[in-house]
Amino acid sequence: MDLPGPIHDFLLVFLGSGLILGGLGVVLRINPIYSAFSLGLVLVCISLFYILTNYHFVATAKLLIYVGAINVLILFVVMFMNSSEYYKDFNPWTIGNGLTSLVCTSILVSLISTILDTSWYGIIWTTRSNQIIEQDLIGNSQQIGIHLATDFFLPFEFISIILLVALIGAIDVTLQ
Amino acid sequence: MMLEHVLVLSAYLFFTDIYGLITSRNMVRALMCLELILNAVNINFVTFYDLFDSRQLEGNIFSIFAIVIVAAEASIGSAIVSLIYRKKKSTCINQSTFLTK
Repeated sequence: MDLPGPIHDFLLVFLGSGLILGGLGVVLRINPIYSAFSLGLVLVCISLFYILTNYHFVATAKLLIYVGAINVLILFVVMFMNSSEYYKDFNPWTIGNGLTSLVCTSILVSLISTILDTSWYGIIWTTRSNQIIEQDLIGNSQQIGIHLATDFFLPFEFISIILLVALIGAIDVTLQ
Repeated sequence: MMLEHVLVLSAYLFFTDIYGLITSRNMVRALMCLELILNAVNINFVTFYDLFDSRQLEGNIFSIFAIVIVAAEASIGSAIVSLIYRKKKSTCINQSTFLTK
């Protein structure tokens, strides 16, 4: 979407803060139903990110599949479990937790410093110069359709077989 | 400016959910964090596809395939978690240490 600059930045900051809070909410909340709702919030924020980068088809597909199907499935599984046992032996800080958080934070800090140090715009300007102008007139959904029907036809068929096998397998496992 | 901010956000989401996946006592919370890890990688794909030459990169298509694989994996993961809960009556993640029984 070609929004003016300040609206774009404001939406980015808004969605980014939703993402940060939701990510912390999934990991740190005690009640698993609240963490499932935080997961829904994170997935909605990610879908709105995709609308900001002009990919409407992938944004809608993510909203439908992730929030509509996978999040609902996870909520069903959470509510199926008995939740009275979670408050008994909740030990929030063991040695393993501290070690993991230390390692994760150090790798995250090194990755962020690498991202901020790389000169991305030097790489972008050298590869963007041979973009054909007609490419911009085709919409996002048509581009995906063209790719899936010509270049990626075989992976498309394999994906449908994978989905079928997963469906049959999930039903077969739970019917015992 | 936008590229670096989105990359930093996706890296933060990735490492937060790796932490959640490793240190969660609950099986369903581990599943949730796994979904978010794959989502963070998808954000990276689409961001790079947005800003580079879109004739040769196919990050768009690969993110669609990744969504489909995640859907299949979530369904089978939930089936297995419900089966384990049915047998053991508890969702503690370190209770099943042997493959039989």
